[in-house]
Amino acid sequence: MGIVKASDVVYEYIRRDEEGNVEGITTAIDRVNFDIAPGEFVAIVGHNGSGKSTLAKHINAILNPTEGTVWVDGMDTGDEGSLWDIRQTAGMVFQNPDNQIIGQVVEEDVGFGPENLGIPTKEIWERVEESLRAVGMYEYRKHSPNRLSGGQKQRVSIAGVLAMHPRCIVLDEPTAMLDPSGRREVIRAVRGLNQVEGMTVILITHYMEEIIHADRVFVMDQGKIAMEGTPREIFSQVERLKELRLDVPQATLLAHELKKRGVVLPDGILTGQELADALVGKKRGQG
Amino acid sequence: MSIILDHVNYRYGEGTPLETAALKDVCLQIPDGQFVGIIGHTGSGKSTLVQHLNGLLKASSGRIYFNGEDIYDKEYDRKKLRSRVGLVFQYPEHQLFETDVFTDVCFGPKNLGLDRRETELRAYDALRKVGLPDELFYQSPFDLSGGQKRRAAIAGVLAMKPEVLILDEPTAGLDPRGRDEILGQIRELQTKTGMTILLVSHSMEDVAEYVDRIIVMNRGSVMYDGTPREIFTHYRELESVGLAAPQVTYILHELKDRGLDVDVSATTIGEAADTVMRALGR
Repeated sequence: MGIVKASDVVYEYIRRDEEGNVEGITTAIDRVNFDIAPGEFVAIVGHNGSGKSTLAKHINAILNPTEGTVWVDGMDTGDEGSLWDIRQTAGMVFQNPDNQIIGQVVEEDVGFGPENLGIPTKEIWERVEESLRAVGMYEYRKHSPNRLSGGQKQRVSIAGVLAMHPRCIVLDEPTAMLDPSGRREVIRAVRGLNQVEGMTVILITHYMEEIIHADRVFVMDQGKIAMEGTPREIFSQVERLKELRLDVPQATLLAHELKKRGVVLPDGILTGQELADALVGKKRGQG
Repeated sequence: MSIILDHVNYRYGEGTPLETAALKDVCLQIPDGQFVGIIGHTGSGKSTLVQHLNGLLKASSGRIYFNGEDIYDKEYDRKKLRSRVGLVFQYPEHQLFETDVFTDVCFGPKNLGLDRRETELRAYDALRKVGLPDELFYQSPFDLSGGQKRRAAIAGVLAMKPEVLILDEPTAGLDPRGRDEILGQIRELQTKTGMTILLVSHSMEDVAEYVDRIIVMNRGSVMYDGTPREIFTHYRELESVGLAAPQVTYILHELKDRGLDVDVSATTIGEAADTVMRALGR
């Protein structure tokens, strides 16, 4: 069993009108199965309302499945006794950094989590330092969080989760509110955690460029995993993704457009460099 | 008929140690019917700038003229200005509050003192303009999807019949299709009604695709002002202030570096495909 495993997970909620009468039942997650290995980088994409955030909330027991089971590091998320261990194992970062930062000083904010775990003070400081270094924010440790840019704040939020020493980190649209450089900073930090520290990463996003480095991509639709595969496998299906209200990276889109105009190119081009490789070969071939 | 900003400065916390210049000597002219994109990193002054245009913030010095009238003139009706320059904030769906969508959209025109018939006509018209289907009109706004909620909120501003529509990151948090739908509808609105539209955005791809003119803000000043093609030739400078060019521009530079004779000033997929086809000699 991997670090996070879901088996036949169903999540339903009851819709009620203003008087509290039952209007119907919505199935937000519909028989989802997956098994994520330690150290894996998994991206989850899907249109608004496809169930991706609901699924993510199952991984650290904010929500519990109506049917089926989610295990985090072997612990059943339905078991209330393991709640705190589960949350410590799978840390979560949300969309809006302003809702997640509470400290007056960056290092205090990052120390808040381990302090609540009852960690000895000396070790808290060690954890704060290593977490801030991991996201490249150590030099800002004495700053006030409200003077930081969006990308910097979001990296402080990630450091706050890291200081809890999780084995897995779930990020729910961490870049949705950021400018291009903020997005770059956060994604670089996340990739660093995965590649250098070997942290399991589950990234939910609407930006297709952010997932080309993932090991595996899940595409959600109507509460189900509609597509699963490597970024290359997923992005080779441009039309199918459009049906699912999604997009592809611009390099893939340009390759697709060129193919429509009669240029023969391989499927699943993800980056400008790959497109250049394919086109330069073509030019030479023509001689 | 236009908006003119004449040496506008804005400082907040004036007279305190925290005094900060948020706008510095901004001079701009926005003619009627233009579709303008405003880009800049977080804290560059974009939101501060647009909040001046409908009088939410008052410049520390300088003048703003709307259709030739000085909005800081004592006689000027600034309340009316707010209905003529409609501002849609970030995450506008957080401001929906009525029991159904239609009533929510009626709120603005009703407060303008219009009679019931005119109010309802305007609400209906605005909801059609944003492409919200009739069957959703009497649903609770809270039962709509993210994209639908946002369109309902935009309709609430359109129902005031503004001459200028300002949207502060209207697509943040929407899925790609929702993003294309909203921007497509805004473009249609602009071509059909000739309304002036200002779009504040963090997405370089979106501004490249949709707008006629881009204003780049940096540290409270206008850094660049021009067409998307002109602006994105400065991609190195844009990177140094926390922005970027659309990805397709980088792809074209990569192709050029590898010996393909492409025009690197293309900023949309269509333009890029054209220049690549030409470079391939087809």
